[in-house]
Amino acid sequence: MTDKSDREIINEVLNGNRDLFCFLVRKYERPIFNYIFRMVRSKSDSEDLAQDTFVKAFSALNKYDDSYEFSTWVYRIALNVCRDFFRKKKMFFFSLSAPVGDEDESELEDFIPQNSFHDPDDVVLNQELRVSLEKAIGGLPIKFREVIVLRHLEGLSYDEISSVTGLPVGTVKTYLHRARKKLQDELNDYLE
Amino acid sequence: MVLLNSISPNLKLHPGFFVYIIEAIVMERKEEKLIWYLEQLPQAPVPFDFSFQVMDRIETRRRRGFVFGNFKKLAIVSLSVVFLAMVFLTDLPLFPQFHMSNFSGYRRVELKFCALSENAKTVAVAGDFSDWNALQMEKGNDNSWVITLKVMPGKYQYSFVIDGDEWVPDPGSPRQVEDGFGGVNSVLVVNGG
Repeated sequence: MTDKSDREIINEVLNGNRDLFCFLVRKYERPIFNYIFRMVRSKSDSEDLAQDTFVKAFSALNKYDDSYEFSTWVYRIALNVCRDFFRKKKMFFFSLSAPVGDEDESELEDFIPQNSFHDPDDVVLNQELRVSLEKAIGGLPIKFREVIVLRHLEGLSYDEISSVTGLPVGTVKTYLHRARKKLQDELNDYLE
Repeated sequence: MVLLNSISPNLKLHPGFFVYIIEAIVMERKEEKLIWYLEQLPQAPVPFDFSFQVMDRIETRRRRGFVFGNFKKLAIVSLSVVFLAMVFLTDLPLFPQFHMSNFSGYRRVELKFCALSENAKTVAVAGDFSDWNALQMEKGNDNSWVITLKVMPGKYQYSFVIDGDEWVPDPGSPRQVEDGFGGVNSVLVVNGG
C-alpha cells in the first residue's frame, strides 16, 4: 500500500497514472463491498455492484469534489448503485419506504462456515441470532436499512451519513431511531 | 415506594412514575444490546482478485471507448464522402422535395389540350419547365387532357406531344414562336403577382 493520501493518489490518477487507482480500490473495497452486500444480500449481485461502484468512481474522478472525503464520495456512489439496482429489480415500483429483496435468506452463509471460529456458546454470534439479525435488517425499508448499515455496520458518523445520503442530520437520527425500534420489535426475544 | 415515602413523607410519587422509569431503562438497555449485536455482525469477505477485476474492467472500458470513438469518426467521415459523391456524381433525388406554396414563388398552372378525335392514346406536354421532357397528361371527360404544373413566374415555350411522336402547339395559347425546326412552340406566361 502507498503512503500517499487519497487526494495525492487522485491527482496522480488524473494526471495519467491510472494504475494508482488500484490503491484506492484496495483501501475501500472491504467497507464498500460489505455495505453493498448488506443492502442487496446477494453475493453475486454485490460483487457486480461493487465493481460498478469503483468503475463509476474512476470515470467520475475528474468531478470529485475534494471538500468531501473520498470514502464518503464512494459510499455515495455505492448507495446510488444499490438504489438503481432495486429500481430495476422492482421495475414498476420503487420506494425507499418499502422493503425490497429476499428477506428470507442471506447469502452470508456462503461466506462464513457453519463451524465459525467463534465460540458456539457465545450468545452474540450464534447462528440463529445472526440469521435473525440479518433477516430483520433485510426486512427494513431501504431508507432505514441504509442508515442502519452505514451507522452500526460501517461505523460512519451522523455527519458522514448525512453527506452520503443527502439527508439532514436530524432526519438521519430520526431514521436511525425508527429503524432500531423496528429491529427491536423483530428481535425482542434476543434482547430480553 | 414505601421506603421513599418513609424518607420523605412529603414526596408523593405515583406508582406509574417508577414503572415508566424502569421501562425506559429496559428500553435503553435493549437498544444498547441491539447496537452491540449489530456491530458484531461479521463483514462479508471480498473476493481475493476484486481489485484486479475492477482495474481490468476500467482498462477494457478505456480501450473500448478509444476504438469506438475512432470508429465513430471514421464512420462519419466515410458516410459524408459517400453522400457528397452521390450528390455531385449522380442524379439521385437525395434532397427532400418540398411542397411549394404561393409564398415560395411557385405558381400552379393548369394546361388543357382538347383532342380533335378520340384516337389519341397518350398526350404529353414538353417545354422549358420540364427541360423538354414529356410529362404525361391525364385524360378527362370530353376528349380533353389536363395537367397541373408548378412553375415560377416567367415565360416558357412548350408543345403537346400526341402518342409520343406528333408535336402540336397549344391551340388555346395566343402566343407562339418559331421553334427553330420549322415549326412553332406555344408560349406560356406566368405572372408573378
